[in-house]
Amino acid sequence: MRTAINGSRMAAAASMTILLSLLILDGMVSDWGRLSGGMDNLVVFFHQSLWPPDWSVLEPQVYPVCTARAPFEFTCSTAWIGVIETIKIAFVATVFGMVLSLPLSLSAARNLSPKWLSYSSRFVISGFRSLPSLIWAIFFVILIGLGPLAGVLAMTVYTVGYLGKLQYESIEGLNKNPLEAAEAMGLSKMETALSVVIPESANDLISHAIFMFEYNFRSGTIIGIVGAGGIGYYIDLYLRFLQYDKVVAYLIIIFAVVLLIDFVSIYARSFFNDEDDLRRPSWIDVFIPEGLKSGK
Amino acid sequence: MGKSEESAVPIIRLKDVTIGYDSGNPLVNIPEMEVLPGEIVAIAGPSGIGKTTLLRTIAGLVSPISGTIEVCGGACPERGELGYVPQKLGLVRHASVMHNVMIGAKAGHSSPWSLLPSNPAKKKAMEAISSMGLMDKVGEPVRRLSGGQQRRVATARTLAQSPKLIMADEFLSELDEETMQMVLGSVTDYVRASGAALLVVEHDISRAKSMADRLLVIDDGRINPFITEITAMEVKV
Repeated sequence: MRTAINGSRMAAAASMTILLSLLILDGMVSDWGRLSGGMDNLVVFFHQSLWPPDWSVLEPQVYPVCTARAPFEFTCSTAWIGVIETIKIAFVATVFGMVLSLPLSLSAARNLSPKWLSYSSRFVISGFRSLPSLIWAIFFVILIGLGPLAGVLAMTVYTVGYLGKLQYESIEGLNKNPLEAAEAMGLSKMETALSVVIPESANDLISHAIFMFEYNFRSGTIIGIVGAGGIGYYIDLYLRFLQYDKVVAYLIIIFAVVLLIDFVSIYARSFFNDEDDLRRPSWIDVFIPEGLKSGK
Repeated sequence: MGKSEESAVPIIRLKDVTIGYDSGNPLVNIPEMEVLPGEIVAIAGPSGIGKTTLLRTIAGLVSPISGTIEVCGGACPERGELGYVPQKLGLVRHASVMHNVMIGAKAGHSSPWSLLPSNPAKKKAMEAISSMGLMDKVGEPVRRLSGGQQRRVATARTLAQSPKLIMADEFLSELDEETMQMVLGSVTDYVRASGAALLVVEHDISRAKSMADRLLVIDDGRINPFITEITAMEVKV
């Protein structure tokens, strides 16, 4: 029989879990002295190789000749080209992934589909999600060669797996009353999906797609390392030449762009909630948390 | 088949039907029940006795434990012929009033292309919205409407469907007297004009008496077959 959650039992269970993980870690580490040595190495490495960042990554490339006028020469830099390519890959993969995952998630939702269809669709969605986009990128680079197309395909496949799961869980969480009304009216499953399910869950679906774009940009910075396009290609290039100060410059740029996309994503998603414009935040609300503004 | 013969066929006929969600715990037993074209029949009874379950069973959302339910003598096409205004309305909250009512209008359309908005469907939807006094709310998302307005949207959705049978579960609750008369008038006019039938669950006995041709009272898990003619019998609940 289930019992109510007991505070002291919860605390004891949490302590036991932390203790267990410390014991496991201790079993894996043979020499704790290496950790302090590692910190010393990091300090030396940071001062000698990482800092200050080399901002020449924002200067135009020597070839091809830059045709942009001042002050837009930075659009010919590897950093700009890499970031824009990563955004393009993430955008296209999110759109294609959304288009492919929606019918799959409608089939996977148990409140819409028979068991055999639901389980087989879930199997496909889980299969796509089981490998990270980096592994899919390696697969597509082998299959179709280097370049952004491999990145688009890799991230589209992963998007179908990830977004599909978010979507069918959202559809399954729908209130059953509109579905029952549709059934009583004699609507087909297709009509129910188009007239009831998609409009009713549209806020969640759009919100998930925006989140997925943000996620795809972050993973898009990695897949370039295996030759699937984007800024990761340049990071890999400079890592091979041991030019870590340039790598740090790229990482700072990525951090700034991810932060910007995060904020845009939070703002955009706020349009798609139950109260829509009633809860739409101002830009200042997005950048400054409520607690800081009220001084609490 | 002549018109008089056709109108004699009950829109629904229940024979030895037992309803409930669990065969070990049946809610209501109905030895025999018929609803004829053009009739308004009200079902009354104490709360929780199985009135809503009876409507859900006729609507095909719950299987009867036993017995047979015949719709239009087996002649009604499945699609759109049964209109249902559920107690919990079942509206698409994020969509507009027009979208919700169009769902009913499309359901009443037998074309396989009914997903595409057609002019006749739009016309039917607008008429239904107008009859419910919601013309100023056509583009409004349903979630922003009051409880009574949402109930009128659900009724409009069913009217736009042009069904042969309207099953309405407490569809007049949350309405003020004037609006209630308007809604009831529109539904009654539709039933009388089209030869459809209205089967309504109503907890307010006096309201049920005033609107219905017949009143069926569920008492002790059985539709009382003796209390059907409200003009002839005194109803005690």
